[in-house]
Amino acid sequence: MTKAAATPLALSRCEACHTRFLPSDSPCPKCGSTRVHPYPVPDHGRAIAATELSAPAPGWAAPHRLVLAEVADGVRVLAVVDGALPSPGDPLRIALDGATYRARPAAASPRERGEGESPKARRAGPPFEPPR
Amino acid sequence: MSVHVASVGVGRFGKRTEGLVELAAEAGGLALEGVGRKPIDLLVVGSMLAHGGSGREPLLPRLASRLSLEASSGVRVESTSATGAMAFHVAADALATGRFERALVVAAEKMTDRTTPEVTGELAGALHPSEAAHGATMPALAALVSQRYLERHGLPLAAIDRPSVHARAMATRNPNAMFTAPVSAAEVAASRPVATPLRLLHCAAIADGAAAVVLERGEGAAAVLGLGQGFESMRIVDRPDLTTFAATRIAAQRAYEMAHLTRKELGVVELHDAFAPFPMIHLEDIGACGPGEGASWYEKGWVAPDGRLPVNPSGGLIGRGHPIAASGLAGIAEVALQLRGEAGPRAVAKAPKVGLAHAVGGLASHNFVTILGSDAP
Repeated sequence: MTKAAATPLALSRCEACHTRFLPSDSPCPKCGSTRVHPYPVPDHGRAIAATELSAPAPGWAAPHRLVLAEVADGVRVLAVVDGALPSPGDPLRIALDGATYRARPAAASPRERGEGESPKARRAGPPFEPPR
Repeated sequence: MSVHVASVGVGRFGKRTEGLVELAAEAGGLALEGVGRKPIDLLVVGSMLAHGGSGREPLLPRLASRLSLEASSGVRVESTSATGAMAFHVAADALATGRFERALVVAAEKMTDRTTPEVTGELAGALHPSEAAHGATMPALAALVSQRYLERHGLPLAAIDRPSVHARAMATRNPNAMFTAPVSAAEVAASRPVATPLRLLHCAAIADGAAAVVLERGEGAAAVLGLGQGFESMRIVDRPDLTTFAATRIAAQRAYEMAHLTRKELGVVELHDAFAPFPMIHLEDIGACGPGEGASWYEKGWVAPDGRLPVNPSGGLIGRGHPIAASGLAGIAEVALQLRGEAGPRAVAKAPKVGLAHAVGGLASHNFVTILGSDAP
């Protein structure tokens, strides 16, 4: 497995509805506008859910690990995991390696460590789903 | 003028020696016999996977020729694992125009003539290319949904074993099911990992099979009351909530509106359980229960044939096997059998007046809801 490259993530922001999204080369997923501009984000996020596949798609070796990560409010990326399978809420470093997002464990920032918050809040973080 | 299911034909699902056309002809022939070989003026067929060295087999003309339907018009449809439901909806809508009197709907898939990696690779074509390019497969994305569902609702891992146990128990009463032996929760939990937390017995199996119905104008116990479909982004990264399928909620709402019914009137449902945790989510998305409550429905046995709302008396995809295109129509066929009093030993305890069949396309990016019931005044 190749080491994650240090390419910063290329997020886009929609001029029409202000949605921030990945990847950068597509129209806005919310309103369809093509008036989108680059919007730099930190190269870290946290795991929403992760899985280890015993039979990945052709071209990938087993075991193959994938993580769905949140990199900015409401912006998510599916990334190949380098290293151990993350648990939900784990902080990740995310990089773009060619056309592939790669994630590896990261040390939590002070805010992500939840300083001053209860242990439960630190573990759970903000909710991943909007209210129904 | 209403449209109703006049007969059902389902062949045995599993590893079959016959090819695609033969499987389709078997199910279609059974459905035609059910209406005494009355004339058919519309043939709608569906299958997903390519066949033969040159890609798609010309299933529509071959089946029309095989079943001597020269005087019929024909349509072939495809929408991955919802193909069978789409075929049914297309036929029902066509009959409702008045141009056609009686339609034969057939959905078939031949899968066991290729290797599992080949099938898995082809099915990953139903995912968004940007996600498939990361090595994602259908079970992989289903695993992410499953993990999030468990985590969000604080459910134990064992919650996802129950739908498999239920499906296999139901299938023991279905002679056309691929799996005729029940499984225990311990066996499910000990089966080999596919995509954590999903194991082999959490996933519907690759199978050959075909299902068919004859739809005709007129009234009956299995009349088409409601049809609905919905889309959601193919990319799971675009979905704000992994623990619900918007495409099902839209489809169900449309079907209930067309039928002028609510979920309270349902007496039986067939839900698309390609992966064991999914029918818990589907129960919530069709409005049978609130978020996170689908798991307790399985735990309390409310999905049993004598429960609050019988779910998948046919065995579902996990019990029947999952010949992709055929599954969506097999669910509709089962609801029709239950409503028509033709389900034999699988008949649910309280004879239903209204039933719902649900089908998922791709990773729930294109879903269908079909409501059948008596339209007698």
